[in-house]
Amino acid sequence: MLAVDLFVNGLIFGLFYALMAVGLAMIFGVLRVVNFAHGEFYMVGAYTYVLVAMKLGVSPWLALPAAAAAGALLGAVVERLLMRPLYAGYASWSIMKDEYAVVVTFGLSLLLINLVDKIVGPYPYRGPALTELSRVVLGPVLLNGQKLIAAGVSLALLVGLALFIKRSLWGRQIQAVAQNRLGASLAGIDATRTTSLIFAISGLLAALSGALLAPLINPSPDVGAFPAMKSYVIVVLGGMGSIWGAMIAALLLGILEAFFAVYVSYDYRDALGLLILILVLLFRPQGLVGEKGREV
Amino acid sequence: MTDARNLWARRLATDFRAALVVTGLLALAPLFVSSPYTLGIIIVSIYFALLALGWNLLAGFTGQFSLAPAAFAMLGGYTTALLGYHLKAPLAIGIPAAILVTALLGFVLGRIVLRLKGPYLALTTLSFAEIARVVVYNSNEFTRGDQGLNVASLMDSRVGYYYLFVVVLLAVLVGLYLLMRGRAGRFWLAIRDDETGAESRGINVVRYKTFAVALSSAICGLAGSLYGTFSQLVSPELGLLQQTGLVIAMVVIGGMGSLTGPIVGALLVYLTSEWLRGFGGIQLIVFSTLVIVVARFFRTGLWGLATQPRAAKAAGAAP
Repeated sequence: MLAVDLFVNGLIFGLFYALMAVGLAMIFGVLRVVNFAHGEFYMVGAYTYVLVAMKLGVSPWLALPAAAAAGALLGAVVERLLMRPLYAGYASWSIMKDEYAVVVTFGLSLLLINLVDKIVGPYPYRGPALTELSRVVLGPVLLNGQKLIAAGVSLALLVGLALFIKRSLWGRQIQAVAQNRLGASLAGIDATRTTSLIFAISGLLAALSGALLAPLINPSPDVGAFPAMKSYVIVVLGGMGSIWGAMIAALLLGILEAFFAVYVSYDYRDALGLLILILVLLFRPQGLVGEKGREV
Repeated sequence: MTDARNLWARRLATDFRAALVVTGLLALAPLFVSSPYTLGIIIVSIYFALLALGWNLLAGFTGQFSLAPAAFAMLGGYTTALLGYHLKAPLAIGIPAAILVTALLGFVLGRIVLRLKGPYLALTTLSFAEIARVVVYNSNEFTRGDQGLNVASLMDSRVGYYYLFVVVLLAVLVGLYLLMRGRAGRFWLAIRDDETGAESRGINVVRYKTFAVALSSAICGLAGSLYGTFSQLVSPELGLLQQTGLVIAMVVIGGMGSLTGPIVGALLVYLTSEWLRGFGGIQLIVFSTLVIVVARFFRTGLWGLATQPRAAKAAGAAP
């Protein structure tokens, strides 16, 4: 029966990981760069949620959209100010893409961590929960009320995102730009606007993931480091740039981690990600659903 | 072809001479600075200069991005410390062992990751750095966790330590110059500028990239090991990502892809950060902002700004 409990709890953590990783995969899909400040989108979401709910005294249900808005805004601003030189205008011709992206996003990550540390303080905050319910028992599964609600919201967001990308006009534009930026612009798609949109969505999802987990994780300025690392593992496992791969890989990692923590080692549960990363790079570098031919 | 080659050789020679001048000035510093505290601060900035040179070898010369220089320094420090703590090994074994272990780790990591193109090295080294720190932190019975480990000291004199660090810096600098002037250096630059092109001309890209990672890790390991014997303590905090951030800031601000840039950057950033400490912990805010601004608008850093007019003249090109 422990196995069922672990499976469900792992699956739920997988949903939270998916919210983070999908945005990262979308960014890699269109720009072929990794955003090393992704964990800080998560952190900003968690802090916005906690501070809006506590300092303004509004209902946590209103703090949630505030966190989403903060994340989307941050994503769009980062894209406009820092990412645009990667693809727009003559300036992009002399830029070494990887160099620029790694240095700038890693710098941004440090900047955001230290800004929050300085302005809000280095101590962890405890966010207000969305529900008073602390224990929910479903058959053999024991759940925390907040976790259950957060999982429901995450699931709804992921399904919504999938529909948005598959069905809506903007979603199809995102797919087109990810496949071929030049081709998409020749077909009349505004690739620049689409890239902004992707960063906004990516920031929004990561921030919501942070906000939903805020009551469980007690955010401190460096809280984003481990979720970000897990999304990097997930994105490689799923296949760089594949949204569907990232979703599957996130659920898989969540479940594997839950079992690993109980049956192997709790202290080293975070090391499982590195192990998986190395195994994937050794044996299946294209990831679960990734395209082939990325090997040298 | 030949012209371009000479131009690069001339630029590298100028760069090397400038770096020698900076190292020479450092060697003279104890004549003017007598306070052991200030000497200690300069020693730590030389430690960072070594890490910066190691990271720059990868990022600036080979175009590969590791996010683990601080982690390798931590592992180097712990190799020496653990050998002394558990096996009572003398530093004469402990320090070379640190170089060997970190080189080997870098080599294995490189072998696994560098077959692939793309951002895999940055992703893997980031995970590796965080996990290495967590493992050291959690292995209480083996590493004493966050209490850290004591390390034997090489000598009592602070000035002696100072000269040790200067001599090691000089040795690393000369070694890197010789490598960059030779075959390996040209191959690394070719890989940085056009990996596919380099491969098509018959360069064993994977081997040279792996060599760069192993060498860079070994430099960081040596620096960490020396730092451990200097401060007589190693702790998991040596491997914090913030430390890596500081190293990146030093290289980017000083000038990527040069020898002088990382050294000058390390001295400037570390000494400024000591000075900024008095203003309430804003060092990292200042430096991370500078990193973003420099990467966005002055890609070549201070060294580039200082030499660009001359380089343009030497090339005979207009802008």
